Amino acid sequence: MLLSFAQWVQFTTLFTALRGSANIYPVVLSLHMIGIAFFGGMILMTDLRLLGWALRKRSIAEVINQFRVPKRWGLLLTATCGILMAGSKAEEYYYNVFFRTKLILFAVVIITELVFYRSVYANPAVLDRTPSAPANAKLAAVISMLLWISIACCGRGIGYIEPPLDKIHAQIEVIHDAALRASRGSYSLKGQDHQDVASAN
Amino acid sequence: MLLLQISSIADALNSSEWVFPIAECFHITAFAWSIGMIAAVDYRLLGFGIKHAKPSEVLRDTAPWTLLGLAVVLLSGPLLFLSDVRMYLHNPSFVFKMYALAAAILFNYTIHRKVAQSDSSSQAVRIVTAVVSLLLWISVVFGGLFIAFA
Repeated sequence: MLLSFAQWVQFTTLFTALRGSANIYPVVLSLHMIGIAFFGGMILMTDLRLLGWALRKRSIAEVINQFRVPKRWGLLLTATCGILMAGSKAEEYYYNVFFRTKLILFAVVIITELVFYRSVYANPAVLDRTPSAPANAKLAAVISMLLWISIACCGRGIGYIEPPLDKIHAQIEVIHDAALRASRGSYSLKGQDHQDVASAN
Repeated sequence: MLLLQISSIADALNSSEWVFPIAECFHITAFAWSIGMIAAVDYRLLGFGIKHAKPSEVLRDTAPWTLLGLAVVLLSGPLLFLSDVRMYLHNPSFVFKMYALAAAILFNYTIHRKVAQSDSSSQAVRIVTAVVSLLLWISVVFGGLFIAFA
């Protein structure tokens, strides 16, 4: 089902046009990287503050709250460009192990965000009450850094794999034919072909 | 002689299929890091970001991390370059990137630093500085990406 969705998505007008243009793709990729610099850089900064390694003179609440807006813009840019790229090669990406891993890591990001949202991100003023952030906030920071760095590396990995779509398609056709033959018998399959020709005529 | 040395380095780098991608991962993470830190200063100069802190304070807070990120970028970058020197030198995007990078680093440690350090500089000067800084770093990223498409 996911596969047929991927196949459908990449042949929509938008993504077909995107795939066909030689110039737009690298621009989208570049904007994706710039978004990563803005968005990822801010995330690392927030994490470093939670760990108490950077921006120590600034309160945690200040850092988290003030970077929220630039971070969201960065995320919007990165995600939009990411979706544009993934959509234009959706079927290929469906088979790409790095892309799959990246999606799983995104799911993990969402889960950790949900887990730590209330205790860490939603109410950062509480974290400033003690000189050093509580252990769960530091744990959230470490997990966040590891996840986002892995996501960036998986993103790079996607480009290294080019699933042999032609071979996969040929294989699927063979399996499909075999299944047809098994269910109808090879003669009736030929008969079917003749019927098709006859009806076409 | 130099070429021979370079090609032996390239052989060492190309001997494992993992060296290049791993160097790339370091390169990507570190550039996001350093440019993100510089962008934090630029956001402050533009009037958003950490508003309670003066630009000079944001600069002082982020400078060591920017430098660390740049150090990793400037260590991993040459590794990528040395894997295929000839290709890179003939690649117009790479040449553009090197000029843009030199300009961006020079700007960052001269005008950008000076404007950010001075808490009395006018808003117009701050905005121009931040925009130039962002544009320079964006062109470095574009140059880097287009190496693969040139």
